[in-house]
Amino acid sequence: MPPDPARSPSRTAAPIDTWGRRSEALADALSRVALGDRQAFAALYRDTSAHLFGVILRINTDRAQAEDLLQEVFVNVWRAAQGFDALRSQPLTWLTSIARNRAIDSLRRRKSEVSTVSANLPGDDGEGDLDQTAQMAGDGPDPLQQLEQAAQAREVTHCLQQLSAEQQQCVALAFYQGLSHAEVAEHLVQPLGTVKSWVRRALMALKDCLGRPLGQQAH
Amino acid sequence: MDYSRPELADRLAAEHVLGTLRGPARRRFDALLPAHPALRRAVAQWQERLAPLTLGVPAVAPPDRVWAAIEARVFGDAAGASTVAADRGARARTSGDSARWWQRLGLWQGWSAVASAAVIALVVMVATPPPAQPPIVVVLAANPEAAQALNASFVASVSADGRALVLRPISAAAPGPGRALELWAVPAQGTPRSLGLVQADGETRLLRTQLLRDTAAFAVSLEPAGGSPTGAPTGPIVSLGKLQS
Repeated sequence: MPPDPARSPSRTAAPIDTWGRRSEALADALSRVALGDRQAFAALYRDTSAHLFGVILRINTDRAQAEDLLQEVFVNVWRAAQGFDALRSQPLTWLTSIARNRAIDSLRRRKSEVSTVSANLPGDDGEGDLDQTAQMAGDGPDPLQQLEQAAQAREVTHCLQQLSAEQQQCVALAFYQGLSHAEVAEHLVQPLGTVKSWVRRALMALKDCLGRPLGQQAH
Repeated sequence: MDYSRPELADRLAAEHVLGTLRGPARRRFDALLPAHPALRRAVAQWQERLAPLTLGVPAVAPPDRVWAAIEARVFGDAAGASTVAADRGARARTSGDSARWWQRLGLWQGWSAVASAAVIALVVMVATPPPAQPPIVVVLAANPEAAQALNASFVASVSADGRALVLRPISAAAPGPGRALELWAVPAQGTPRSLGLVQADGETRLLRTQLLRDTAAFAVSLEPAGGSPTGAPTGPIVSLGKLQS
């Protein structure tokens, strides 16, 4: 039974832009990091590392690799902070994007490593596949629940809800768990071409919806 | 593939940010980013659109050893791990001095004033009617401080509407292997905008919107092949030309 909208914390009453406000607080720290301020760097780590580690871990579930990736992200942030342009992007978006990029790139490396290893294991009876399925399932909320929990990201969540169920699932699997088109297709047992066109249409619909002023978004 | 087609650029940027652009296509896209401001803009827009979705991801506190490792790599420790120190030293030598050069633009008036007669003579409004709106010509003089890195000077002609720029080398040594030259529009305040990679041995033509808006100077920096990895100049500024306002 759907929650009573009058009682449940309504999406529209959620903080107007939690993302933006968290970002604002970080902009100052980041600008000081750009000047080489170690304390600001430590504060930035304190305030964002758990979020970024969570994001990385959803994509690359290998804990040791995820720790290395987080380390890479912050070393990169220290060196690249002066390239951050506060007028053009929000700090949390910038940091999250670096973390996601690293994590997605690590999947490429990991997968090529894994396939090399399993090719050399004669006794491999497909357990590797089981492991991968387990990774996809992961622990904690599934991708669709995560979409819902991003309620503070009111606008984008609202627009995601306009997508078909299949489109939502594709976006969630790709975005949260770093699945490629082929992996999403395998996971949903759908032809690759179908998945690609779902993703493409989902992105176009999102862009279209997000480009509209809030009041004019379709309900 | 023609990455300058806006719909294609937007679609690839979306899939890059979503994460479904993979393998060689992703690497090719990453390599193109530094030289294609339109692609970078599309990526930034998609990041702004999608990144807030990560608010739904449960935070996981990393173990303390991660911060310890970061500190050791970034600051080095008191005992002075030699590899870390060497790494930092190398970094300071290669990028420390040139970093934030745009904030010291004022200081550069010294050396550019030396060449001011030439610069002023060459920053001309070409007064050949009928085009009522003549192009603007700017000389990018070689930076003597970067002469040992690369000696290069250019002439830039910008159409009066600020949409087209032609950069021609006056005298420019080729950047060594693994290096590239990148052109920047430098605002009076704030970070330079990359206008893309340019050639040392021939003409480079750029079509952009608003080349002149907020632009106080054009500069060319020496970057790794593929262009600045950070989106801001990382290497020495080899030539600089200020716009007269």
